[in-house]
Amino acid sequence: MSDPKRDPLDEMLAKLPQAIAPERDLWPAIDAQLTHERNERRGAHRPGWRWYQLAAALLLVVGTTLTVTMLVVRHEEPPLVVERQSDESVMSPQAVATPASFGGYRLDDEYLRARVQLDAAFELRLKTLPPAAREKVERNLADIRAASREIADTLAQYPADPLLQELLLSTYQSELQLLTDVALSPSAQPSRVEL
Amino acid sequence: MLLTMDMSESVASAEACASVDDVLVAAAKRGDRRAFERLYRIHSARVYGLCLRMSRRADVAEDCVQQTFVRAWRNLAKFEGRSSFGTWLHRIAVNEVLSHARNHGTRSESDEEEVTQFDQAVREESHVDAADVMDVERALQSLPEGARHAIVLQAIYGYSHEEVADMLGIAVGTCKAQVHRGRKLLRQLLGLPEVES
Repeated sequence: MSDPKRDPLDEMLAKLPQAIAPERDLWPAIDAQLTHERNERRGAHRPGWRWYQLAAALLLVVGTTLTVTMLVVRHEEPPLVVERQSDESVMSPQAVATPASFGGYRLDDEYLRARVQLDAAFELRLKTLPPAAREKVERNLADIRAASREIADTLAQYPADPLLQELLLSTYQSELQLLTDVALSPSAQPSRVEL
Repeated sequence: MLLTMDMSESVASAEACASVDDVLVAAAKRGDRRAFERLYRIHSARVYGLCLRMSRRADVAEDCVQQTFVRAWRNLAKFEGRSSFGTWLHRIAVNEVLSHARNHGTRSESDEEEVTQFDQAVREESHVDAADVMDVERALQSLPEGARHAIVLQAIYGYSHEEVADMLGIAVGTCKAQVHRGRKLLRQLLGLPEVES
């Protein structure tokens, strides 16, 4: 490169400022574009954050429901059984549409047979519970099944999502646990009291 | 300000900037957006100056600066530090200006509005003889695009012919020819005598 002291053109070019500040701050626009791109990338990989919030909330409901049910069934001894009632409002397990398979999970015939037996044992034991306990168990079972339906509906939109598959499986397991716990809970000998 | 420093101060300042850049780039690579904003604050004016001189339009230069930093953020992981961060940004900026010109075409050389915008922006940054600077800037803006790009990168931003050729995607010989042509035109426009090579 030629010596600027000998070439007036180089001397003049060297006086030009390299830095020229833009008239406005461009950072807010850059920051907004980067944030937008990040959100788009997240959206492309996941089925919306709100679904995860919903799923987490449902899982919390299931967990709480199960705990409450266990406390009710194990600790609430029936003081008196006045009369066995046939309550049509008891929700039948068959009433809940359960997908036969989802993701990598399959609900085979063996499971379905075991489930029918469990349902029968559950219903039998449920009828021996005092009305208050029975009402709580029914309400909790309804909560679990509602959660199960919500997750299954979401999974229908995002069938490949592994977290939703796990959540649905976990909800089914919670339902089974509740049915099993109630069916196998020690029954107090009902006694008829003549008033 | 830089013009009043002696050589040792300039070198020390450049080394300090490079060190700050290294720290900020490392943080930005880990996803630290604030560190990246600091890099923007440090480098945006030089990138804008380059884009403005190459495109001659403030609105295009702003778009190019914005896209340069967005692209830099996306590709930070690929920056290996073989050149300075500023040089890396300039390469991206040159690509943005050239890409914009390809996609939108180049406006007429005699657009009075562009020259006025440019004059205003440069005048605000000039700390030396403003009249001389404006004369040179005006002469520069009137150069044909190829010669202007080569002169801006080589004479104002100090890149070698090889670096300029690489940035502009042209042969080194073509770059030298464009610089020679540009200098000759500048001399004529500024009324400077020819210098024997």
